[in-house]
Amino acid sequence: MQGVGEMAKELLSLDNGTTCSSWNYSSSRLATASSDGTLSIFNFLHPSSSSSSPRSTFKSKVHDGNIAKVVWVPPEYGDAVACVTADGIVSLWEEVAEDSQPLQWKACKTFRSSSTKVLDVQFASFNTLKMVAAYSDGNVRVYELLDPLELKNWQLQAEFQNVVESVSAFGKALCLSASISWNPQKGVSQESSFIIGFNSNTSELNSSKVWEFDQAHQRWLPVAELELPEDKGDQVYAVAWAPNIGRPYETIAVATHKGLAIWNLGLNPDRNGRLPVERVALLSGHEGMVWQMEWDMSGMTLATTGHDGMVRLWQSNLNGVWHQQAAFEPTS
Amino acid sequence: MPGVAVASDTVTNGALVPFSDDGTRDSLPIYPLNHGLAAPISRLAISWSRGNSLRVSLFSAEPSSGSPGAAQSGVGGKVVEVKLGGGDPEITDAHLRRIAYGSVPPFALLQSRRSELSVLSKAPSMATTYHIDWWEHVLEYSKEITSLLGGPKSPPNAIIEDPGEIVKTGEDPTCLKAAWELMEIFYADKQSQAWLPERLVDWLADYDSLFSSTQETIHSKLVDFQKELVNIQVIEDDARYWEVMSSALSVGWLDIVVKMLRLHGSYQLDQLSNRELENGLVEALAVLISKMPRNRPESPAGKLGECFKSKPDFTKAWERWRSQITKLDCSPFWIQCDNHQTREGLKNMLQIMLGKTENLCMATCFWLELYVSHFLYIRPFTMGIESMYNLAQKCIQLKPSSRTHRLTGLMIGIIGENTEVVLAECSREFGPWMVAHATELLTAGSEQAEILLHDERFNLGGISIVELHRLAYAQVLSSHALTWQIAPIYLTSCMKQGMGLLENLLYRQSVQHNDMLLKNIEICRLYELDHISSNIMKVAGVYHWKHGRKGAGVFWLQQAQDATRLNRIAQQLFDSVGKSISDESFKQWEGVIELLGSESKLAGGLEFLHKYRDFKKSLQQLSSGKSTDAARQATGSLILLMKNPSTPQRFWLPLLFDSLKLLNWHDCPLLNVSETNLLLNKLQELSLARLRPHFIKPNLPPEAISSIRLALATNLGRAILDE
Repeated sequence: MQGVGEMAKELLSLDNGTTCSSWNYSSSRLATASSDGTLSIFNFLHPSSSSSSPRSTFKSKVHDGNIAKVVWVPPEYGDAVACVTADGIVSLWEEVAEDSQPLQWKACKTFRSSSTKVLDVQFASFNTLKMVAAYSDGNVRVYELLDPLELKNWQLQAEFQNVVESVSAFGKALCLSASISWNPQKGVSQESSFIIGFNSNTSELNSSKVWEFDQAHQRWLPVAELELPEDKGDQVYAVAWAPNIGRPYETIAVATHKGLAIWNLGLNPDRNGRLPVERVALLSGHEGMVWQMEWDMSGMTLATTGHDGMVRLWQSNLNGVWHQQAAFEPTS
Repeated sequence: MPGVAVASDTVTNGALVPFSDDGTRDSLPIYPLNHGLAAPISRLAISWSRGNSLRVSLFSAEPSSGSPGAAQSGVGGKVVEVKLGGGDPEITDAHLRRIAYGSVPPFALLQSRRSELSVLSKAPSMATTYHIDWWEHVLEYSKEITSLLGGPKSPPNAIIEDPGEIVKTGEDPTCLKAAWELMEIFYADKQSQAWLPERLVDWLADYDSLFSSTQETIHSKLVDFQKELVNIQVIEDDARYWEVMSSALSVGWLDIVVKMLRLHGSYQLDQLSNRELENGLVEALAVLISKMPRNRPESPAGKLGECFKSKPDFTKAWERWRSQITKLDCSPFWIQCDNHQTREGLKNMLQIMLGKTENLCMATCFWLELYVSHFLYIRPFTMGIESMYNLAQKCIQLKPSSRTHRLTGLMIGIIGENTEVVLAECSREFGPWMVAHATELLTAGSEQAEILLHDERFNLGGISIVELHRLAYAQVLSSHALTWQIAPIYLTSCMKQGMGLLENLLYRQSVQHNDMLLKNIEICRLYELDHISSNIMKVAGVYHWKHGRKGAGVFWLQQAQDATRLNRIAQQLFDSVGKSISDESFKQWEGVIELLGSESKLAGGLEFLHKYRDFKKSLQQLSSGKSTDAARQATGSLILLMKNPSTPQRFWLPLLFDSLKLLNWHDCPLLNVSETNLLLNKLQELSLARLRPHFIKPNLPPEAISSIRLALATNLGRAILDE
């Protein structure tokens, strides 16, 4: 096939020890972080044009340890990122120019806990900014920003475990990883909801569940569990909620060791407040750990990457049958 | 390879095809992702940019001490971008963008005509005219699109007056254009349905060269022969001369054949006398060929052959012509012709014209040429599409090929009248642009196709195939900075999900550059996406505010009508004014206050900040001297502030608290009875307001209210006594 050998256009070289990266909402800024705790920010002037070369705008050691993940805060709250360290500490960094000082990145908040580690955080902007954090003891915390112009002031809005029946008792949970994905809907009328799944030694915690905020009672409720009875307790590697540009149902991808499952989630709850769910596909591909899943902006193509080192693309055909569309294999 | 490099950052459309119907594909396409890193990759990260551009970060494993090479390079990873779909191996990206821009006006015009007609067709009397006229609109659209796909045709039979030049090699035609024209012939151009076979003959004449990429073609034979021409002494003794000529004849390139015949040696003046008979046979054939009857309204100017528009006329002429050929075939002159090559060559050409399958098979190179030769010489009376599919199958069997050309699948789908196959082929071989635009041709082709393509499907999330392909094309447009602006035109033609995707696209545009920001807002205004534009303006407001451009920040937040953030800014301003009375710090805020003040409702009544500053100044003067006049002045400012409805309630308490000194003025009471009552009422209102949920507690000592109340009560008593 013509030209495929040079199909990938190089945008940037990364420093030694870089462990993670994240693009902002407009794909014009890239945040990377490394094993020695360095956070770097790059600007790409015209995000899609081929001519521009990136400019490094910030590079500094912000942690002592390994930064495992970096996440951008929604742009309605400025240019800010959250760094999650391998030790489970979350720090928020923000680009500001204060009192006629030059523009700089400043630490504005640190979330740490002596007994437990943060595994994943994700932000969503509804009427306020919310941050969901998944902890290594299986707890989920939802924080809320009090002042839309200050990323310093957060309030713990809720704390719960990722279980459907709160009475179920289990031993001390040990979670290796967790994956959170907010419903990407941007309307203000929408109730905020997200999906979370764990990779832990406790089967009740693992299955991915959709949590929705109940305005009337000011609490988070599990409204759907994306797990079939025969897969009970399967560890979840990654979840991704697809953007919905007008489908009469939501689509969510869940990766476990059994493969990649595509779930359709109905929009109308039953009498118990549960949303109808249907697993429409179980696909195999990565054969092992799935690191990351990302939907494109139409919610029609899913990109995944995992332990086999491949990037894979998934789509549904005209008959609604999901399949792997293409794969990319890194070569030097 | 410059021709290849142009599409190099694109998965060419044979590769990643969105939403094919093709369940049969068994092999998964795997593409290399070149990164050039020495160390092995330990981890990947992926992120979608706008549209279908995917960004992949590749992180090397930590260089171990044993591998100094990796450590020295200092490169621990790469970020690459892959654009999926939308390219064409034959066409440069720049040309594809020109096509993209050029196809907007005809597409938009057709959509607006469709909506006009759908309004009209609701009136029953107009319903029939709708179907009669529609294909004409589609044809006009199709012609506009065709004109974008390439320059003027340079068919092989466009001979210039160089006797040595048989084939003209001009601008290379593209498969995209060939495919488009093929669809136009079968679906849009209803007028030429009666002479469909002739249209195919012309089409092949235009595009035969394209098939040379996968196999030998008559065109490539002609080109090769032309290269040899200068080296050939006696042309009629060369077997290739006769071979190439019969090939060209078999597919109806009459001009080329006649021109080549006249290169025959017997035409040379010095030979004419001793080769009179031979030359007579050659010329007889040339005349017969140039008078071949064709069932078509007209030929391009200067083309050989006689055109007959009506079937009966054509049939009559054809039979007469055939009988002339038969007569020539049986002529006794052949025995007298002593040039063996000439005799055999001419005889073979006669057999071709007589429609002998064997000879046609020999003369043609691949199935499509054989197919076309059937229409010319075996089934000249073929009408319509019915028997065309079976004939194609037969030709493919007679001329099997190891490699299938990208146009072949499309051709088979079209003549097999299989809309799904046509769509899948368009999508796989020609990409999203083609499918998005060609559905207009397909739906004009038949009612069945129209139903198939416009039917809304649950499996697709409630959209039709037409909409799906428009969305897919809009994604391709969205992924490039130079084309995203035209994506909205396609998205707004999608009934169900276009606006949703447009919102996502707009949300993902950067607000950093003012021109882009204004463009975004303009698009929002055009399509009445107020909530998106206010979100964009909010993002812009916060961006500027945080980046130290306070004025621009406030301006955009006001445009976004973001009361929450503006109130916070007002609060910050108040705190800042409250903290320091120095003019310097206040000046920094003054512009912002000015900006906020003009729309006092939104800005939380900030015009009062001016008054507040004056008030603070008089208080400051009080602390230096003890003039009662100054105190009276400050009290006046206080009353003005408290009376002014634009002073937000949450500032009342701090104002009163700041004024305690005035309320407790020892020389005389500074407030009269009615003024004191006013302040007492305000205080009462505040106490009630504290009970409501959204009350913002001022940062004051807890005893503030009671000390104010006490001071006011004292003042009231003294004022009553005074009066």
